[in-house]
Amino acid sequence: MAAPIPASEGLSRGSIRGYRSAVTNTHAAVSTEVDSDQEIIGRVIAGDRNAFGTLINRYSDPLYRHALGMTGSPDVAEDILQTSFIKAYHHLGEVRGRFDAWLFRIVANGCKDWLKNIRRTHLSYDEDDQPSNFNTPDEDLDRTELRQDLDEALAELAPSLREAFVMKHVEGRSYEEMADLLGTTVGALKMRVHRAREALQALLEEKYA
Amino acid sequence: MLEPRNPQEGTDRPSLGRDAGQPINNAPLADREVPLPGAELGATPVAVHAWLDGEASEADARLADAKQVALWNRISEETSARRRMTTPAHVHANIMSALPAATPSLATSVSATAAPAAAATGMIAMSPVTAALAATGLLAAGFLLARLFG
Repeated sequence: MAAPIPASEGLSRGSIRGYRSAVTNTHAAVSTEVDSDQEIIGRVIAGDRNAFGTLINRYSDPLYRHALGMTGSPDVAEDILQTSFIKAYHHLGEVRGRFDAWLFRIVANGCKDWLKNIRRTHLSYDEDDQPSNFNTPDEDLDRTELRQDLDEALAELAPSLREAFVMKHVEGRSYEEMADLLGTTVGALKMRVHRAREALQALLEEKYA
Repeated sequence: MLEPRNPQEGTDRPSLGRDAGQPINNAPLADREVPLPGAELGATPVAVHAWLDGEASEADARLADAKQVALWNRISEETSARRRMTTPAHVHANIMSALPAATPSLATSVSATAAPAAAATGMIAMSPVTAALAATGLLAAGFLLARLFG
């Protein structure tokens, strides 16, 4: 299984140049060559169905984090991820340009469609899905409370603000990467992120500041 | 645009546009393209935004508002933990087992350029030939209906 893209590098840098560098840094002694997305797509179209698994390994983690950040539900995030990859498989022969950006748009639109179709105020993360690096029960309790409050605050944001905040602060992308993936300007995205921060701060500061 | 001050809450409640009469907590998420109550733009100092954007030091941000820096440090701990999350192991197998048996084919027509965007947006892509055939069919159906009822 291919090594996941370091989260801080985001999906955009997971376009093949960044991914190649990430993998060779991690597994330099094992492998120095990674197939490009286009090479893998060619193999899948030629009948090697299992080659599609390489694309899943390559891109599922950042896309899962995006879907989870947008929906707040691990189950929904898994569903969106699965549906998106299957849709991508169906249309694999039609990809022009960057596969990762194309795939991201499918997932992002799946998340937005879900948000449009459901009126909800809160869905919490399953505890088992969350990593815990804290040692004491008090710290764990504190952390769980912040996690829930952050989820609730994120759920209050408009989808476009939530998307911008999740991409910037949860996925760790640069504004340039975000603009590239969302097809908008850096200035517009900065404004969305700033507005999201203002809203989150208003919702959380009384309790935590 | 802001509505008059709400005497009960003592805050400026932003207008909800076409849903202005609806309580904000019941408004659909897609309609909340305005700041939330209490979330006045500009409440966060520029230095704090600049620090969060990686364009200024934490010390500068602390000078502007130490409480907000403390809050964002706590939020950052949580977002950093989320950044380390990985896809559950069973998802890969689920996707592979749900893939159709048919191999995806190369698109060769004009629709090939439209289809990726259509796939991303959930819209239907149609080639010019298909569109022409559909239009002819609709015209023929209209003609028949006109003959029957006209």
